[in-house]
Amino acid sequence: MEYIASIVLISVGAALINNFVLHYFVGICPFVGVSRRVEMAFGMGCAVTFVISIAAFLSWTFTYFVTRPGAPVTSWIWGMVNPGSEAVVDLSILNYIIYIFVIASSVQFVEMYLRKFFPALFKAFGIFLPLITTNCAILFGCLEIMKHITGASSPAEMWGLDKALVFAVSGGIGFAIAITMMAGIREELDLCDVPKPLEGAGITLLVAGIMAMAFMGFTGVDRGLEALLLK
Amino acid sequence: MPSKGPTATERFINGIIPENPLYRNLLGLCPALAVTNGMKPALTMAGATAFVLICANVITSLLRNVLKPHLRILVFTLTIATFVTIADRFLQAFMYDMSKILGPYVPLIIVNCMIISRCEVCASKQSVGVAFSDAVGVSLGFCLGLASIATVREILGSGTWLELRVLPEAWPNWGIMVLPPGAFLTLGLLLGGWNWYNARREAKAS
Amino acid sequence: MTKDQSGNLLGQAWLVLCLSLAFGAALAGVEIGLGPKIAENKRNETFGQIPSLVPGAASETSTEAVMDGMAVFEARAEDGSQVGWVVPAGGQGFADRIEILVGLDLPAERITGIYVLAQKETPGLGDFITDEERFRHWYRNQSTDPPLEVIKTEPQPGTGKIMALTGATISSDAVTDIVNRSVAEFKVTLAGSPAASGGA
Repeated sequence: MEYIASIVLISVGAALINNFVLHYFVGICPFVGVSRRVEMAFGMGCAVTFVISIAAFLSWTFTYFVTRPGAPVTSWIWGMVNPGSEAVVDLSILNYIIYIFVIASSVQFVEMYLRKFFPALFKAFGIFLPLITTNCAILFGCLEIMKHITGASSPAEMWGLDKALVFAVSGGIGFAIAITMMAGIREELDLCDVPKPLEGAGITLLVAGIMAMAFMGFTGVDRGLEALLLK
Repeated sequence: MPSKGPTATERFINGIIPENPLYRNLLGLCPALAVTNGMKPALTMAGATAFVLICANVITSLLRNVLKPHLRILVFTLTIATFVTIADRFLQAFMYDMSKILGPYVPLIIVNCMIISRCEVCASKQSVGVAFSDAVGVSLGFCLGLASIATVREILGSGTWLELRVLPEAWPNWGIMVLPPGAFLTLGLLLGGWNWYNARREAKAS
Repeated sequence: MTKDQSGNLLGQAWLVLCLSLAFGAALAGVEIGLGPKIAENKRNETFGQIPSLVPGAASETSTEAVMDGMAVFEARAEDGSQVGWVVPAGGQGFADRIEILVGLDLPAERITGIYVLAQKETPGLGDFITDEERFRHWYRNQSTDPPLEVIKTEPQPGTGKIMALTGATISSDAVTDIVNRSVAEFKVTLAGSPAASGGA
């Protein structure tokens, strides 16, 4: 039960309470740039969810097995080179570089794979894939997972692959929800008389501010959920 | 030597106001919203970004003649990621509290489109001096952008500026300004004000 | 053909390889130069609070210990004798997790103070849980049994009652819950450890 509770809390937390866009401000560029039409926004949301789960899987694997202090693979290699050494090997200084290359290469692979095997899907959100490499949401997901591996106070609190993936997928879904809602509002805004200086990015940010206020209403939901699930 | 493209001074001036990365080009919005609830984090962030941008621009410009076109994005990313790691470690070593406040937004400088676009547009084509002054100009512009948002948010939200009290104690702090919605509203309105001012100036000029 | 191609590949990639080596060296230098400083900062974050949490303790002599899988800090005086415990604890607050340190005396019968390491409560309301004057002082010198209770009027100090922050009852409740839970857990651990029966 405790396990289910923690999974539910992570997913609700990432998707709604601490929404990637409206609470952590990551992925603002596509949120402002690609939210003109609902279909496009939805495609972008799907693409981000897709890539973020792959990047989360790869970055968790690298962080857990290679770069965290005392990681198995690194310790094993270190033990081969320096038998009998007691030092804890810590490669976490390489984390950021590894993440950005993991993201860039997984975007490339996803693009090739989709083009070859799922042309319909590729048509739907293939055009967004190159844009995703510089989308902060993906890197932010990797960084949060890193924080829960290297920053965990005890080994029991370290996130396993399951929690990392749940976090990444719900974060992506949260992004999709926010950008699709925004696109829906902007389609209606086209019919409105927006003051000239605010057209485009200005009004989008103002609307996002109001959406962020609405999402603040979710604050505290996790506490209630936890109490409900653990009882 | 015939110089192609703008000169160093032009690049420098351009970066600050006419081509302001934040208001004009809408680049680097994530840090502009996330770390501007106070002046101190905003200025630290601007400093870290400036360090990365200047180093990346100079290195790219030094390498511009041996750079293979299809490998350039790879080289840019590698350079930026390395300098971001260095900046992050420096913050952790000398400004530990600040690095905790900035949290993931320091590593997120890697995907700040502003830096890679300066490498692409300016540094990979022009000499080191021009690239350097371009980076300084753009960094100043970015710093001004962050500072303007942080000024509004900190004064209204906490009644202080750079942690010095500017509004009387009786001022009811607008809690919303230091929360996420305040960031969106402030940037949206400032952007509107910027556009309005520019439109009016152009109308006067013509 | 293959040789030609590999030569070509090397010709294209040499720059990237050289750069990687140079950057790798730079990062290694930074790590060697700043690594100890960062580790010290991280240690100070928790150990620096120990003197204010447990009276008579010093941060330099205090040590980390793992008791029955529970990571705690042994607060020691300057001469190395143990004067109390500091237990790190965390739990769900109103917004996001709250991480705190709880200071206890040697038999874990009294709470000597708490410190909030990380929180994201509402600015201007819930974030006063970090404030000694407004909130944290209520925990000083409270008995660990029975569990602390949150009330809305001003209590006598040291009577097991905590006064809730105005407009942030949930945050106050959350902190008190975390303190109660971690203290109860620690007392069980302490009772089961050989250190307790041996008189520490």
